[in-house]
This record gives sequence, structure tokens and C-alpha cells, in this order.
Amino acid sequence: MDPDWHDDEKLIEALRDALASADEVPSAFVEAGKAAFAWRTIDAELAALTYDSAQDPLDALAIRSESAILRSLTFASDGWTVELELTPNAVLGQLDPPEVGLVTARGDGGKLAEAEIDELGFFVLGPPPNNPYRLVCTTQSGTTILTGWITP
Amino acid sequence: MRDDSTVVDLVTRARGGEKNAWDELVERYAPLVYSVCRRCRLAQPDIDDVGQSVWLRLVEHLPGLREPAALPGWIATTTQRECFRLIRATSRVEPVDFVQAPDVPEQAIAEEEVLRHERKTILRTAFAELSRRCQVLLGLLMQDPPAPYDEISRRLQVPIGSIGPNRARCLTRLRQTPALARLAADGPDDRTRG
Repeated sequence: MDPDWHDDEKLIEALRDALASADEVPSAFVEAGKAAFAWRTIDAELAALTYDSAQDPLDALAIRSESAILRSLTFASDGWTVELELTPNAVLGQLDPPEVGLVTARGDGGKLAEAEIDELGFFVLGPPPNNPYRLVCTTQSGTTILTGWITP
Repeated sequence: MRDDSTVVDLVTRARGGEKNAWDELVERYAPLVYSVCRRCRLAQPDIDDVGQSVWLRLVEHLPGLREPAALPGWIATTTQRECFRLIRATSRVEPVDFVQAPDVPEQAIAEEEVLRHERKTILRTAFAELSRRCQVLLGLLMQDPPAPYDEISRRLQVPIGSIGPNRARCLTRLRQTPALARLAADGPDDRTRG
């Protein structure tokens, strides 16, 4: 036992700290962790968010003024990049390096939408899911790439 | 780790597809993931991202986990790597001092967080083993600022003069709970005295 804990004041302080740090973890954070179990059957490369126009005030402005694109996102893993443009009617995607395959939007509840990836690595997934989802890209050569969560 | 057998059991069951064993693992280690993220000074949305990556990697990693007892260390190290990766990828967060300090080995930080997490878990377990009365009393005393003695006296229906001795008794019981007694039986825990 920590010798400090023989001192009443220090023990109370350590206890307060221990109880407080359990409280500071938001329950949504814990619930999201529990939900991750649903993904255990997917053996995929994780592609993390590296760019989000919603985080970029200048770009968000440019996008709003010139087109129907609501938001653009980039996800990257070690070997792959998935660039997305969210429009009101569809999710436009580009897989790089390009490869033929299948893309699926999945939420915690399962499959929400599916589309083919063409030989240029391009895909159109529509209509866009209304609930948070992640994209699972499965290429012809057998690689599976899983993006982070996308919240419409 | 002193709760090896529990962790091994949870990992084995989660591997077998038992959702509630997984849930328990997440509940147990979410504070560890969270505290490493906080230490990297990430904002909430980034913490959520890192959390997702860590849990997904763990789901993936479970079948190949050869030493379930090493799980807390694995979780802390993975969380830290994911934090660094996110910081590098987005550069939205000011790098923390230790990120730039080349003389602090990655492993040492993760290990330190694991020990802190372990200590806190033991204290929380010990607290849960106390009588309801002791929990209420200590809870009132731990408030910031601590509840005044006359309020404690009213809530617990004890004379003001006995609050001090009761507090001492409850703390002694805390030290004698199986959770803390196990620690004492192992001798002074030098590992936590970095």
C-alpha cells in the first residue's frame, strides 16, 4: 500500500481523486466503447479523419458559396486515403490508390447503404444515411478500409 | 496487476463473443483511455475519435492477445499512440511538453498512467466495500468544500463530537478492506512511488 495512505488526510485526498476521475468520463464515451463490439467481425484497416471542412472556416465558406457540397472529409490509413464530399443527395467518394470494390455505410445497427467502387476508385453512395455511419471499403484485392464516424 | 484473474476471465469471455464481458472491460478501462487523452490535452471530439480507434483496435486485437494481464499497458500505449497520431494529423492541438521531450520514453508515460489507474480502481473498489454509513460520511467529508459538521450530524443522526472518531474508524476500515489489504499483504508498493 502507498505509505501516504496511512495518513488520514492523504487517504481522503486520494479517494476523492479516485472517485472524481470515474465521474469525469462522460457516459457517452463509455457507451461508444461498448458499441465498438459490434465491429469485431470486421477485420479492417482503420482510416482516421485527417481533414474536415467543417473545422476549416475558410474552406467551409468557399464550399458554401460555390456548390452543392455540404462538407468535405478526408480519412487516411497508412496505405489508403478516402476523400468524401457530402452533398444533399449522395456521398461522393474517391479511394486512393484507386481500386475496384464495394463500399458500405454502416451504423451501429448494421448496413445503411451500399455502392460499387469503380476502376477509378470513385463511388456514389446515395441517398446519404441520416444516422451516424462509417464507411467500409472492401477492394477487389481483399483489403478492407474502415473510416471514422461520419455524423450527417 | 492484482486483478489478473478477472481481466483474463473478461478477455476470454469477450473473445468468445460475450457482449457483457466486453462491456465490463470498457467500463473498467474507459477511465484509463480518458485520462491518457486528457494528458495529451485533447478536446472532447478528439477524445471521442481516439476512444473509437482504441476500442476498435482492441476488438481486433482480442483474439491475438497472448497475455491478457498486459492489457492495461497495451490500452495505455495504444491510446497514447492514437493521441499522437491525431495531434500530428490535424495539428489542431498544441503539442504537449512531453511529446517533444525526447528523453521521456513512450512506455514510461503509459506505465505511469496504468499505475495511477490501478491505484484509483483499487480505492474505488475499497470504497464500494465499505458500509453505506461510512460511504455517506466520507462522501460528505470529501465534498468541496466539506459539509459542515452540524449538517453531517443531522444527516447521519450522530453527535458532532463523534464525527471525528467515526471518520477515523471508516478510514481504518477502508485500509482493512480486502482490496487494500491485498495491497498491504504484498508489502509496500514501491512501484507507485515514482
